[in-house]
Amino acid sequence: MPTVRRAALTAVLAVSAGLLAACGGSTPPANLISVNNGGCGGNWHLARPGWYTFQIYNSSSEAATVDLVNPADGAVYAEAEALGPETTSPMRLDVGSGAYAFRCLFEDFDPMTGPTVVIGGRTPGTPAILPVTNDDLYGPARVYHAYVAAGLATLVTQADALAADVRSGNLSAARAAWLPAHLTYERLGAAYDAFGTFDAEIDGRPDGLAGGVSSPQWTGFYRLEYGLWHGQGSRELSGVADALDADVHALRAAWPAMEIDLLDLGLRTHEILENALEFQLTGHDDYGSGTTLATTQANITGTRELLTVLHPLLAARYAGLPAVYTWLDRLDSLLSRTKTPNGQWVPVSQLSISTREQIDSACSQALEELAPIAAITEPRIT
Amino acid sequence: MSEPQEPTGPEPTGPEPTGPEPTGPEPTGPEPTGPEPTEAAPGAPRRRAFLRGALGAGAAGAVAGVAGGYAYRATRPASAGEVALENAAAGLLPPVPFHGAHQAGILPQPQRQTAVIAFNATAEGRAELVDLFQAITARAGFLTAGGTPPPVGIAGPPSDSGVLGPTVVPDGLTVTVGVGSTLFDDRYGLADRLPAGLTPMLPFPNDDLDPAQVGGDLVVQLSGGNADVVMHALRDIARHTRGGMQALWRIDGFSSPPRPSGTVSRNMLGFMDGISNPDTADQAEMDRLVWIQPGTAGEPAWTAGGSYFVVRLIRMLVEFWDRVDITEQENMIGRRRATGYPLDATSIFATPDYAQDPEGAVIPLTAHMRLANPRTPQTAGSRILRRAYNYDRGIDQVGNLDIGLVFTCFQQDIKRQFEAVQTRLIGEPLVDYISPFGGGYFLALPGVTDGGDYLARGLLA
Repeated sequence: MPTVRRAALTAVLAVSAGLLAACGGSTPPANLISVNNGGCGGNWHLARPGWYTFQIYNSSSEAATVDLVNPADGAVYAEAEALGPETTSPMRLDVGSGAYAFRCLFEDFDPMTGPTVVIGGRTPGTPAILPVTNDDLYGPARVYHAYVAAGLATLVTQADALAADVRSGNLSAARAAWLPAHLTYERLGAAYDAFGTFDAEIDGRPDGLAGGVSSPQWTGFYRLEYGLWHGQGSRELSGVADALDADVHALRAAWPAMEIDLLDLGLRTHEILENALEFQLTGHDDYGSGTTLATTQANITGTRELLTVLHPLLAARYAGLPAVYTWLDRLDSLLSRTKTPNGQWVPVSQLSISTREQIDSACSQALEELAPIAAITEPRIT
Repeated sequence: MSEPQEPTGPEPTGPEPTGPEPTGPEPTGPEPTGPEPTEAAPGAPRRRAFLRGALGAGAAGAVAGVAGGYAYRATRPASAGEVALENAAAGLLPPVPFHGAHQAGILPQPQRQTAVIAFNATAEGRAELVDLFQAITARAGFLTAGGTPPPVGIAGPPSDSGVLGPTVVPDGLTVTVGVGSTLFDDRYGLADRLPAGLTPMLPFPNDDLDPAQVGGDLVVQLSGGNADVVMHALRDIARHTRGGMQALWRIDGFSSPPRPSGTVSRNMLGFMDGISNPDTADQAEMDRLVWIQPGTAGEPAWTAGGSYFVVRLIRMLVEFWDRVDITEQENMIGRRRATGYPLDATSIFATPDYAQDPEGAVIPLTAHMRLANPRTPQTAGSRILRRAYNYDRGIDQVGNLDIGLVFTCFQQDIKRQFEAVQTRLIGEPLVDYISPFGGGYFLALPGVTDGGDYLARGLLA
């Protein structure tokens, strides 16, 4: 009769709260963990394993991040992030056997770790994860930066050829050259933010522009695609192709000085395919060439590169990593199978319902498996 | 049970007895908290009181099983419908027990909110299909009982959408799962387990079916006291089954309070819907009309305890209907619109006396009610358990309202029951005002008997 048992528990808690209140109005409740830049939680105890909700109270005048950690290795069980001055945040977890200590981080102070509480036995609880630091992420970011640099080197050559085809009026060659160039760009998924305004210029959508597809502000690959597959001629498109080529060159020139936000490495592991599901697998970003399935595959490649550079950090921290690869592989393979026997891509609208369902399902499951990586690889100060 | 005090340290705020996925509602009442006042969850004490009442009523043998929670008040007689509505308004309907020989969502009266979602299986192979049904079962078990979703620390995004706040309330949620004939094609090696009466939905002469809104390998019906509970359940189940199935079509429905109270909910034609239904409290009648019986000729053994589940999405052309005079409306239905009385009687639940009216002078021979259930011994076996909801999907191309009926019914044999009834209705005068456009035939699986069981285990084992 769990209901009755819980009712009894609640009654006990209510009584204890009442007693505390009776002993003096300002006595803090028993599960209060008070932190400030002079102390991190003070003395505290845990009686036994089970579910606990701590109320983390920041009594200082500046923001704090409070983690419940295993003091032996710094692994984090739970976190109250950016807790404002004079505010309280609940921290709930299943406490199992192990060592527990609160660690407080205030701006301009070294991290402080409070007293350790040990729960004996072999009871499983909320697992702790080793935090990832900025130092951990510099290496992966450098490797990814080099990957992007190599991609941009390829891209400028492809954009040169594409622009030349458009200028010379060889539009069938331009249509053939458009896809490989676009896919090269689409493989660089984690860097779009770092690209700044270049991304909107090179790969922007007409959405949100007055006039839509007729807007003169619409530039880049999709604009060119729209023209090449909607009967627009060399005269009309040369400026578009040249601007794209110039933007790509400018981006390549600027790239060595551009930085990838370390936070982005983890975020993009699912965001690239979130965008693919929203804009490619729906057909939204098909401006005529019918190649959004190819774009999705390029996006998988970009995601895989991120996973590769993050792999040393993820292998020890994320038990779901094999499932990530399982579902990316399945999606990849489903996409490859949609090509015609002579290797042509088809628009999503031409797929059978069951093929679309298989693809959307695999992409969605891959996203569920990818989602935890952003939280796990968020850079933390230890 | 004693809870030793730890005066200098935090207290357990409710160790949950069943591990990281609690199967019961956690206390949401006031906990000792920090200096900041926290929400005292005003509804919570009431819910616990309510639960105790429900247990008491059950112990007294008032109403058992799925309807047990409805009989929670001993002090004042109140109809089950009134109690349910009152608690639905507060979002506090009690949990409907998930485990049992039959799925729990089949017999109860329509709840205030429902969603019917058809899915196609995308699982690759039998083992993944088992994973899919186990995942649905696990989520349904948690969602119908309620509880606090487990925190994930820094290991990922929150495990729950948060739509119901930090603690998931059951609010009467039922999860009813069925399978369609297409699940038995060559993908999973189930062809030899196809139920005898499970076919694709038969198109009737007055139908206008949209292939995109017909059929599905699976169907899930989620019903509860409020739309947020139904939506929360849908998001939760979808999140845990993305790689195993993909939604094909979906419709939301609602049922209205009986107006006036004490009568029967009305559909969008303004008429009470489902007045005459088999008696769900009559076990023998349910065994004759609803549940597939063990040893039924031609039926695989795994289907016993299941029920054929027909879903029909029926547009009602209400603008046209509203331009029809009341006598014609009532003659098409066979009942008074205002009162629900049969045209030959003066109470809602009176049995129309067709023998006294062989020419249809009072109740026309073509009245919907008369065709659907002629009340003869020969047609008694064709009765269905009718469970209709209203739907609202906005407007159509000419600005008319796209509203109508999510007609669902449960039965032992589709051909003997739904199809026989629907065949009698072919060409009825009402067809000018309705347009069936979607739905499907499914078999609502046998119930999940306990924690070691799962939906479709008999089919897949």
